[in-house]
Amino acid sequence: MLSILLITSCSSDGSMDKDEEKPSITVNYNEGFPQGCVLLAKGETYNFRAKVTDNKALASYSIDIHNNFDHHTHDDQVTECDLAPIKQAINPLIFIENYSIANELTSYEINIPITIPDDIDAGDYHCAYSVTDQTGWQSRTSIDIKIIE
Amino acid sequence: MFQKILSVWLCFSLGSMVFSQDSFQIKGIVIDAQTLQPIEGANIIGKGLFSISSATGAFTIKNLVENTYAFTISHIGYAPQKVSIIVRSKMETVQVLLHESSTALEEIEVHSKSKQRIAKETPIVSHTVSKEFLDKNRENSLMQTLSKIPGVSTINIGSGQSKPVIRGLGFNRVVVVQNGIKHEAQQWGNDHGLEIDQYGIENIQIIKGPASLVYGSDAIAGVVDIQPNKIPLQNALNGEVNVLGETNNNLLGVSAAIETRKEKWFYRGRLTYREYGDYKVPTEKINYENYIFELHNNNLRNTAGKEANVNFSIGYVSDHITSETFFSNVNAKNGFFANAHGLEVRTSSIDYDSSNRDIDLPFHKVNHFKITNNTSVIMGKHTLHFDLGFQNNHREEHSEPVPHGYMPKPLDSKEREFNKNTYALNMRDAFKPNDQHNIVAGVNVEFQDNNIDGWGFLIPEYNRFSVGAFVYDQFEIFSDFHFLAGIRYDYGLVDTKSYYDWFPSTINNNDGSTSYVNLQRAQNKTLGFGNINASAGLSYIRKNTTYKLNFGKSFRMPLANELASDGVNYHMYRYEKGNLDLDPEESYQLDIDIEHTVKQFSMGISPFVNLFDNYIYLNPTSNYYETLQIYEYTQAKVFRFGAEISASATLFNNLQLNASAEYVYSKQTSGAKEGFTIPFSPPLSGLFSANYQFKKMFFFDKPQFIADYRITAAQNEIVPPEEKTGGYQVLNISLLTEMDLFKNNLPVEMRVKLNNVFNTKYFDHTSFYRLIDVPEAGRNLSISLTIPF
Repeated sequence: MLSILLITSCSSDGSMDKDEEKPSITVNYNEGFPQGCVLLAKGETYNFRAKVTDNKALASYSIDIHNNFDHHTHDDQVTECDLAPIKQAINPLIFIENYSIANELTSYEINIPITIPDDIDAGDYHCAYSVTDQTGWQSRTSIDIKIIE
Repeated sequence: MFQKILSVWLCFSLGSMVFSQDSFQIKGIVIDAQTLQPIEGANIIGKGLFSISSATGAFTIKNLVENTYAFTISHIGYAPQKVSIIVRSKMETVQVLLHESSTALEEIEVHSKSKQRIAKETPIVSHTVSKEFLDKNRENSLMQTLSKIPGVSTINIGSGQSKPVIRGLGFNRVVVVQNGIKHEAQQWGNDHGLEIDQYGIENIQIIKGPASLVYGSDAIAGVVDIQPNKIPLQNALNGEVNVLGETNNNLLGVSAAIETRKEKWFYRGRLTYREYGDYKVPTEKINYENYIFELHNNNLRNTAGKEANVNFSIGYVSDHITSETFFSNVNAKNGFFANAHGLEVRTSSIDYDSSNRDIDLPFHKVNHFKITNNTSVIMGKHTLHFDLGFQNNHREEHSEPVPHGYMPKPLDSKEREFNKNTYALNMRDAFKPNDQHNIVAGVNVEFQDNNIDGWGFLIPEYNRFSVGAFVYDQFEIFSDFHFLAGIRYDYGLVDTKSYYDWFPSTINNNDGSTSYVNLQRAQNKTLGFGNINASAGLSYIRKNTTYKLNFGKSFRMPLANELASDGVNYHMYRYEKGNLDLDPEESYQLDIDIEHTVKQFSMGISPFVNLFDNYIYLNPTSNYYETLQIYEYTQAKVFRFGAEISASATLFNNLQLNASAEYVYSKQTSGAKEGFTIPFSPPLSGLFSANYQFKKMFFFDKPQFIADYRITAAQNEIVPPEEKTGGYQVLNISLLTEMDLFKNNLPVEMRVKLNNVFNTKYFDHTSFYRLIDVPEAGRNLSISLTIPF
């Protein structure tokens, strides 16, 4: 019985073409934005750019900018930024947006213009990108940034 | 045939016993006439008088007047002995010698069957775990100890917490029963263990296969049934103290127990305390995605913990009624790895490395209080069993408060609190109309009241009521051929409560305006689930081989989180969405079990095939909610098969070799993840062990050397978001011995165990910390002493 089961398992294994690869995401190219420790001025508009790829089909991505006034996290880039002293948030910038990637692309460049509002708290922020493929695999990257007056 | 020989020596010699003037006592000792070893548990019965011999063979009968008394002294395996004793002052110790009588037994009709025989006759595939096995193999948690059994594995978090997995299924698909009552905690959660004191457990039955017939909802994959301990002998007073020390996490543990019985009433109690520091892993840094965490002295930061348990029981036993009421409280606090909990990477101003024994944020604490009563009443051909239980599980998860999305920074560290009260009643009647039939009918009723608190939302508050009734018959076709068939119906109600965020979220309306809304995460909803289950099986015993065939259907009611969650799981860093349309999970399984045992050799194989109509799992979708990936509860067809194989041989009388292997294959055959396996699939694994019994050395009695070598294959069958895990080989060795340190007392048992001898760096595919690339614990030396009294 066991041998029959093993044979079935082996024969059924190859028949399905499973997607076992995560998409990739990076800002490590010339136009990639933001780079670690970059300073962003209030009132300015910046194009947030990152390259995403997948072996099969990209599905969605998101951009999340939140404050790091309490030093609760750090980025996954090699850079170590100088953080300002810990402080209370009063009116921090909260940017949380989701986008979809149509047409089952395998390669795409995220390019979203974001204007830094004038009335928000300046200080240390964190920008997190994430991307999914159609199978449900996800990749993320995050970058420390600083918003100045 | 040996002749029945009995003899008594009543030796009177000068004694020095002092008695009051009119109250006398008999002191005696029962010994084996041939070996002159004391006989424990012999009954000394006279008219209105009763005693039982202790471990040293001694007995005492008090408050006697001057007279002649007749006694019958009996013990299984010995010919009963009649003596008459003249009681007066200045009495000697009475010595009773019993003769072993193999012939006597043949003349007695044997009514009861041995446990092994009963296990062979029932078609249900089960595995009985003895106290001896538990003592020999004790690890940091009960489930880690049991994972040596083929087909049983664990989902671990840290060094001391693990939950049961049977043939690749865990969480709410395995039922844990203690004293007849289903252990109800927060089984669905990843990051905590089983709130049961692993000391003092004598007997566990593990059912590998569908067992809803008797155990109801959730017993899809199997059951870990922790059975009540055997009732102490009459006039017994026993106790033990166990001390344990470990080097890897600097654990210190003490557990002390005492039990006593007069005639009909018995009492027992146990106290356990364990405290441990951060555990060490054989790596200096952990690479998780793009992050690198440097470890201080190989310590897995903030994984220290402590555990304090107490239990007490009071029981009554007579010819027709046995009843025991058991109170227990398990209290534990454990830290979680500080750099990344779940999937979220965190930095903190807490100085985690200042001490490896403190428990900082994040941590969880849990208290599990339990009262159970088990009563059996024998009424002619009927035996009625009642199990009554109340449990309170109170669990809190604390982490450093941080703002997230629209949620401002919470004021305290209490992320989640769960408080569950469970009331359970089981009744069953075992009816034996004749020698062929053994009919059991029963009813199970359970009510749960679940409350939540804290700033994080994961599952809504809910009440759950379930009732089930079953009947089965084990029919003896021939003495070696048994058939079991049964049917069960269950009905359950889940009543979820609505939940709103405590903070407003920003909503951009279609007309361009913006509103701030406390979003609703769960609704008030009442859902009913009915389900029919059945099981049928055959057992055939042919000489030294037992064949079993069993087919069964089992089910599981959807959980409140599977139905109604709708919120951010902050520490898993994902958005979880329930589905109110979920059906009860149904599973069909065919089990075969063949076991062959001869004197020096045994082997067994137990393959199974399993089909799920609608396996419920949390499916990672490709969509986002407020920048978090949406995970949605969904159902899919699943096909699974697997087997356990084991063989054991005894060579030269003192070397025992064991080998076992376990394998499960799972595949989703419909739905969004068609073709993928199911989450937490254990890889192919084999365990080779050798056990060598040495001769007595110095004061070391029965020294035994055990080596366990585990070889586990890589797990390449994964489902998002899992990672493939490489194979590994780990060697554990241990030395067990008894020591006669105290004259006339039971020997002290010592165990020295070295886990992960080569300090191998390996990953366990079903460990919670696998997600963040944390390897398993490094080398660990543990020393355990058990001192009986």
